[in-house]
Amino acid sequence: MKTDIKVFFLWRHLNKLRWLIMSLVFFMLVFLPFVHVYQTYVASFSYDLLTQSEKQLFDIMEAVTSPFVTDPASQLDAIKGNTWSGNFFGYKISDPLAVAGQMAASISVYWPFFLSGLIPIILTIIFGRFFCGWICPANFLYELNTALSLWLQKMGIRAGKRHFDRRLKYLVLALGLGVSAMTGSVLVSMIYPPAIVGREIYFSIALGGFGAGLVFFVLTLLFDLLVSRRGFCRYVCPGGALYSLLGHFRLFRIKRIVENCNDCAKCNAVCEFGLDPLRDDFGQECNNCAACIAICPTDALTFNLSIKDKENQGPGHLGKKYQQQNSQLPEDKNATT
Amino acid sequence: MKRRHFLKELIAGAVATTALKSSVVEAAFVQQTSIRYLRPPGSLAEKDFESRCIRCGQCGEVCPNRCIDYFNLENGAASLNTPYIIPREKGCILCMKCGQVCPTGAIKPLERTAEDIIGHVRMGKARVEKSLCLSYQGKTCGVCYRACPLQDVAIKVQLLEQPVVLDACVGCGLCERSCIQMPQAIRIIPNHNG
Repeated sequence: MKTDIKVFFLWRHLNKLRWLIMSLVFFMLVFLPFVHVYQTYVASFSYDLLTQSEKQLFDIMEAVTSPFVTDPASQLDAIKGNTWSGNFFGYKISDPLAVAGQMAASISVYWPFFLSGLIPIILTIIFGRFFCGWICPANFLYELNTALSLWLQKMGIRAGKRHFDRRLKYLVLALGLGVSAMTGSVLVSMIYPPAIVGREIYFSIALGGFGAGLVFFVLTLLFDLLVSRRGFCRYVCPGGALYSLLGHFRLFRIKRIVENCNDCAKCNAVCEFGLDPLRDDFGQECNNCAACIAICPTDALTFNLSIKDKENQGPGHLGKKYQQQNSQLPEDKNATT
Repeated sequence: MKRRHFLKELIAGAVATTALKSSVVEAAFVQQTSIRYLRPPGSLAEKDFESRCIRCGQCGEVCPNRCIDYFNLENGAASLNTPYIIPREKGCILCMKCGQVCPTGAIKPLERTAEDIIGHVRMGKARVEKSLCLSYQGKTCGVCYRACPLQDVAIKVQLLEQPVVLDACVGCGLCERSCIQMPQAIRIIPNHNG
């Protein structure tokens, strides 16, 4: 039943790499606040004043960081921040939505900040909405949330399956930027989960408590669980909307090889963003997460360099529908191969 | 004539609705100025600061003194998650790291030099409450003077260590933090105009 068309074998394993990267980013978001707390202990020479648990934290952080730095109080400043905006060895990298929101709020362009958002913008133009699937710390929690909903379904609790219009998030983006411009305050960062997650993790570890953003984030988790699977990312997220718009003509796309496809529709079931790989409908919403490639049993999905998706190529050639339509072909094929 | 009249009405209506809208917005996002807080050193004026700050939280994350905290909704929705310093809890040690890490220039990037700090940092200005101050009550104290990072530039002492705040005071809050009187006899009057 296999055809000659081979798929580069590593694409199947990209999904694992993606989970590794997402976990690493999330780990860093938890690790950096602890680094900061450790730095403040060092800067204040307060080891003898610390409580037992704080001393443990100090010792662990000292053991982890001492191979790399000699002066923790200043040298550990090299990596700071979160996915919303961060410093890496003196280079500042910011989320495109942060740039857009700041420009809207002050109705002017602050060029150093715009330049800090340039690398993500260029990467998004090439790779599309990759941030959502590969880096976003909120996506990490949302995908775990999806797994939780599957467990709940096994126990008999029905998860939400409602669908809304995907274009809703462009409205949210426009509204968010509009309200930011009207109030002169970057309020779009209050409804953007990765920014909230980065902030709230820092607040909870270094400042001793979650802030108001946690309420919003928990509400989105419940919305995903009870109303609509991955509903926030699909229908509401303003950052996802901006990334989708930037990645409209992205160069890296997933393509279906119609000769290998057997119409099993596992790709549609696994797609976090509710797209339709089975009918070649990826569009600007696809985040190249490669989950569909990983689950495809017949290697019918691969990466492709193109700025447009293929038109619907019809039913897969290994599927029943195609073979009934071209009933003489399967025998020929079996005879030849 | 009729059309001109109509246009006039249209413009008047548009102006009225925008005015109404902005007043509603102002009411919803008004600041509760009863909180006496400072912005980090080198911050822009309050309006500019809110439109520049993207709430990334990096200023707090580099602060070695942990004096920078973040607002929830207590100061109005417009300053949600923006950084602030309460000088009585913890003063700013003027290390200037927050300005260097700030990606948007909401906190100006300044060097840790006397010229930069005296020239550009305007967090507020200390004010001595003579009826509370020990030195003015005849008991020699001088703690605020000893705590000041800009001694004899921002604050000087007279006979009996009586403190006098000078114009160069940047409002870091270390004097208020260290005042041994309760309630404190020296307070920072915040300057939110940059």
